[in-house]
Amino acid sequence: MSIRTPEPRETGAAGRPGTGAAGRDGHDAGDFDRLYRDHVDRIYRFAQRLCGQADDAKDLVQDTFLNAYRGLKHFRGEAQLSTWLYTIAARACIRMRRKRKGEPERELSLDEFIPTSDGEFRLQIPTEGLTPEEALANKELRRALQEAIQKLPKKYRLVLVLRDMEGLSAKEVGSIMGLNERAVKSRLHRARLFVRRELSARGLGEPIRHQREAKS
Amino acid sequence: MGTKMQAGAPRQEHAHAHMGHSRSQCLKILRRLSAYLDNDLSVSVCDEIRKHLGACPNCEVFVSSLRQTVGLCRHMDVAPLSPSFKARLRGEILRAAGRL
Repeated sequence: MSIRTPEPRETGAAGRPGTGAAGRDGHDAGDFDRLYRDHVDRIYRFAQRLCGQADDAKDLVQDTFLNAYRGLKHFRGEAQLSTWLYTIAARACIRMRRKRKGEPERELSLDEFIPTSDGEFRLQIPTEGLTPEEALANKELRRALQEAIQKLPKKYRLVLVLRDMEGLSAKEVGSIMGLNERAVKSRLHRARLFVRRELSARGLGEPIRHQREAKS
Repeated sequence: MGTKMQAGAPRQEHAHAHMGHSRSQCLKILRRLSAYLDNDLSVSVCDEIRKHLGACPNCEVFVSSLRQTVGLCRHMDVAPLSPSFKARLRGEILRAAGRL
């Protein structure tokens, strides 16, 4: 695992740290420890959902907290700490992917998701009668969902992960992504349609049943 | 445990899915489905969409699968980091920052 050079960071965070003796970088070591302890699980979960791969997720967590460490002294409490960290992580994710793939982002057009036949309209995800938790116990469905999310162009993936997986509001996602709410909702709709199409068109074989039912 | 996912089974009795309305009405609905699922629309628009869904088996199935998709995303969990890895990662970050 490697440490990468950090990017410029945002200012402003709630719960402004800095009650101990300041070090040479303008904040005390306890500030960072509190930040890390309170948020590492959340940022790892976000990174794992964004990257799909555990190694990439760990790199992203490392980048995020290194940047946060270096930017901590600029905190002014204008946003929540978690929002600030999400912003740093989202930027780090965008840089990471650009470096690795070097290809322009694909735009998702709404038209490409409009069904052209009754058959396309009626594509279904084979989880009839199950709660999401029950359905996700199926490894094939989990894998299909992860792959569908990873296939999303990253600017759509970021919005989907922040809104539907991390549970942030459209306003918060807009703040993190530098978008207005209308743009967030537009990207979210396209991202959902993309994932729906991937899941339903994939054909997961037999309809997924709850494990208890399958065993009986 | 969350709400049961809606099955959205197609109504086989409808031989022609757009019977009684134009396809453009379906497309208008599809463009608003995320806003509909997120309760972002006015009551009157929601009523209009519900009325359409009740009469259009194609759109009924489509919205059901989109609702399922959102439900799956919302419930997709992630295995947590181990305490030992978190401690090691913290050390690496602080070393890179020049504090260790």
